[in-house]
Amino acid sequence: MVDAYYPGSLAEALELRTERGAIPFAGGTDLMVKYRRPAGVLPELPGPVVLLGHLDELARITEEGGILHIGAAVPLSVIESDRRLPYLLRSSASQMASPALRNVATLGGNIGNASPAGDGICALAALDARLRIAGSQGSRSISLEEFITGPGTTLLREDELITEITLRPSDCTRVFYRKVGTRKANALSKLSVCADAAVQDGVITDIRIALGAVAPKVLRMKDIEESLRGSTPEELSERIPDVLAAYEKHIRPIDDQRSTARYRKTAALRLAEEFLRNLSEEENRE
Amino acid sequence: MNDSISNPVRRVDAYDKAAGYAQYLADMKFEGLLYGRLIRTPVSRGVLTGVELPEMPEGYRYISAADIPPGGENRIQMIKSDWPVFVSDTVRYLGQTVGILTGPDRQRLHELASKITVHCRTQEAAYTIEEGLACRGGAIHGDDNLFADFHLKKGDPEAAFSQADRIVEDTLETGFQEHVYMEPQGITAEWKEGKLVFHASCQCPFYIRKAVAPSVHMPYENIIVNQTTTGGAFGGKEHFPDVIASALAVAVYVLRRPVQVIFDRREDMLYTVKRHPSQVLFRTALDAKGRITAMDIDARLNAGAFESCSPIVLQRTIFSANSVYDIPNVNIRGRAVATNTVPSDAFRGFGAPQGIFAAEMHMSHLARELGTEESEFKRKYFLAKGGKTVTNGTVREEVLLEQMWSRAAELSGYYEKLKAYPPGSYRGIAPAFYLHGGGFTGSGEQEIINGKVRITGSKDGSAEILLSNVEMGQGTATTFSKIAARVLDIPLDRVKIANPSTARVPDSGPTVASRSIMVVGKLVERAASQLRERWGGTSDESVLVQYEHPPWIRWDQETLQGDAYPCFSWGVCIVEVSVDPGTWEVETLGVWTGHEIGRAIDEAIVHGQVIGGVNQALGYGGLEKLELSGGGFAQHTLADYSIPTSLDFPKVTSFLVENPYEYGPFGAKGAGELVFDGAAAAYAAAVQRAVDRKVERIPATPEYIMEITEA
Ligand SMILES: Cc1cc2nc3c(=O)[nH]c(=O)nc-3n(C[C@H](O)[C@H](O)[C@H](O)COP(=O)(O)OP(=O)(O)OC[C@H]3O[C@@H](n4cnc5c(N)ncnc54)[C@H](O)[C@@H]3O)c2cc1C
Repeated sequence: MVDAYYPGSLAEALELRTERGAIPFAGGTDLMVKYRRPAGVLPELPGPVVLLGHLDELARITEEGGILHIGAAVPLSVIESDRRLPYLLRSSASQMASPALRNVATLGGNIGNASPAGDGICALAALDARLRIAGSQGSRSISLEEFITGPGTTLLREDELITEITLRPSDCTRVFYRKVGTRKANALSKLSVCADAAVQDGVITDIRIALGAVAPKVLRMKDIEESLRGSTPEELSERIPDVLAAYEKHIRPIDDQRSTARYRKTAALRLAEEFLRNLSEEENRE
Repeated sequence: MNDSISNPVRRVDAYDKAAGYAQYLADMKFEGLLYGRLIRTPVSRGVLTGVELPEMPEGYRYISAADIPPGGENRIQMIKSDWPVFVSDTVRYLGQTVGILTGPDRQRLHELASKITVHCRTQEAAYTIEEGLACRGGAIHGDDNLFADFHLKKGDPEAAFSQADRIVEDTLETGFQEHVYMEPQGITAEWKEGKLVFHASCQCPFYIRKAVAPSVHMPYENIIVNQTTTGGAFGGKEHFPDVIASALAVAVYVLRRPVQVIFDRREDMLYTVKRHPSQVLFRTALDAKGRITAMDIDARLNAGAFESCSPIVLQRTIFSANSVYDIPNVNIRGRAVATNTVPSDAFRGFGAPQGIFAAEMHMSHLARELGTEESEFKRKYFLAKGGKTVTNGTVREEVLLEQMWSRAAELSGYYEKLKAYPPGSYRGIAPAFYLHGGGFTGSGEQEIINGKVRITGSKDGSAEILLSNVEMGQGTATTFSKIAARVLDIPLDRVKIANPSTARVPDSGPTVASRSIMVVGKLVERAASQLRERWGGTSDESVLVQYEHPPWIRWDQETLQGDAYPCFSWGVCIVEVSVDPGTWEVETLGVWTGHEIGRAIDEAIVHGQVIGGVNQALGYGGLEKLELSGGGFAQHTLADYSIPTSLDFPKVTSFLVENPYEYGPFGAKGAGELVFDGAAAAYAAAVQRAVDRKVERIPATPEYIMEITEA
């Protein structure tokens, strides 16, 4: 038997978390695969589940004072088509899984699952996303980067739920998104590169580079990004070899059934280089 | 519009399948059904020392070798019978059947199965061709691990080699491939009025009957096999259903209750048969003008743990090892090597794709080496009517490859693109040429199969076709019906054809080897024309016809000399790619392909075969990595084993040229496998040109392309 609760509100869902220790279940596209059993046998979920996909409070996208609030249970199909959302995020959502899965799969689930190959996580990391987490004692805000601690592990407490993802406005317009999957659609990532930058008056004012599936967590090196801010494209051009060398030190991919460590590392560096080159070769355009 | 038989009709199975009325095995209801779970060995090689069972609740049983009824034997009758129903001592591969656990509730069954411990003493295993040849851990089969060791000789290769100006060597390799048939393997067996009745998702109902008979010691007349609606099976349901059916036969014999085994996809991917991995070594002698004077070929297939049909697969590999080329002097050795992997078995093309990939890539490497344009180099050696095959057989039909090449080259803009994309430009275009021998290899049709077909005409004006070849999405029900309707001159909807039952239909042979239309369709044509002579649509009449071998065929099964096939189907495929210089991902920009299959009985069905076959071959060539890992497979889910989606490859431009074959119905030859044979080589050669490095194996994944370009 699997007990599944269908709460009427977020408050009720949180109560079920606290009182029953129910497992959050949004689209179920990770959970149902992880705990699947042969045909005719129930999934072996380790406890009762609380269904979240239907809760209005988790299904909204709103904008307040330039800050975007994305409900944790908004399906990816809505994310990929909502033009208020950053292009980087929409691109990554549109290349996840298949249309049918995107109708139920959520960003909250992608984050909760905390896979090093999670595509939503990589895009959100490049966008400096923060999370709102609600629990029995109220709610807190935490950066995505802090929240995910390693493959499959997060700082979610037993009475908590992710309620929304918040994104601050950014000036970045030089968007680079590349997912290298096992095939062209409905594929898991071998690696991915999510990057964007802002260029104003011939100077790079902002730059973010996130590399997915090449380390236990999404790799973002803020010190390097910081050091590139204020450079001109020409200055950037000279720094590219050093920057790549720094990334190379921190890329620690694995060999697995989808790819090899060497490929992941080489291709990730090549793509990062492609992004940096594009940026450095850019004419001074406004 | 003319009234050619090739004009498409609505498929006779389209409505039921599209509307969801078709009943697959899992949809069927059986009263008092028990479910079965196969219990498997946890090691690849060793000796079974014991099975620890939990306490069995009422209604649950564990059945194993000890339950084989008196007179029954612990063996599955395939071509050989080396594969036991249940392991009783020696273990040869990971996941081999030790027993079958049965009971009414799948949840309970799952819990009980997880409490069974199979104990084995482990021995050192051999997994790869090299390890098999070296008899790692001692021989698995015989004293040399060879299920077959064939030698072919054409002309005088020794003399040619001794006079060679230079010799070029090459090694080409292909990997495992998983069928990913529509629905996993599944069979229900039941006991009915003293008979053992199977309902099976399968290609060859009569094979199952033959396979299970020894284990339960029952005569054929008491064993009935009903084929249930089956999706595309690609060879995966030629022999493997025998393995499940034999275990079920023993269980049902003991229990006298219906028992069903349907594999989970994961179980199916881990423990069922795969395409044979291959390794083909070439040594080619060239004269001073760069002309090929001789080839020495050493082909090896990884056959896995039991023989199954590996020697016959190997025959196709070596018979295809010169592809469409007439090389004057050739020496070929072929070996099917025993290893401790799941047995390798039939898969669309049946050994030919491995031989053709090797031959096409080797020719492509020679062209590179000699600095000659690839198509020009290859076309110099095309077989022609009267030409000699590697078995010293004769090509009897007009070979239309030149005409097909011109058309494909024009459609694809081959020559312009060749100029536009020099080698190493990360864009590439390349051709492959191929052929497929129709029907069983050698004397199989005549001596082993001897197919029979019955057609009955009723007084209500309808006719029914009775034969054992199955519809599995490839369109045979429609094609057979069209042939009969046309000959009998009755509307298509007056022709009936049902899923075969061995109790009702004559044995027209298995649904394999691209033989259904060419060989069995001819029997349908003959039966229909005999029926037509005596049936006016107002009486009940029945006609039975039997296979007749084309009289001009000369074949010696002992020496493998002569006409290995009565005719060939021919193909050309051009693939254009671009390779991403950052990630080595391949984008396939175009596929142009032409086939000569005698005559298409239904152009839409053939077009479907072309698109499916080409995409499956491109998956084989570029995506479908299947690696051994501890005796099992690292990629055993559909998330990790990547078959192509509709976005992976572009629209396939396809054309047919007609060249009717006298011994095929309305001139038809085989098509189902031909369309798989060439695209992987064209793809690999296009990638090779794009990165200007020799591609020596498939799948040519981005990881592999990186390795060769960064080397
Ligand atoms: C065929 C297939 C293809 C796929 N392709 C991709 C792909 O291309 N890229 C990719 O990144 N992923 C892919 N996935 C994985 C999966 O679809 C995604 O990770 C998806 O975003 C998960 O969302 P979900 O709502 O279905 O999660 P669920 O399965 O419902 O939950 C996943 C985890 O998150 C937790 N969780 C869910 N919601 C919350 C919440 N609000 N608060 C706290 N914890 C929560 C759950 O408890 C669980 O641990 C694929 C999966 C399949 C089956």
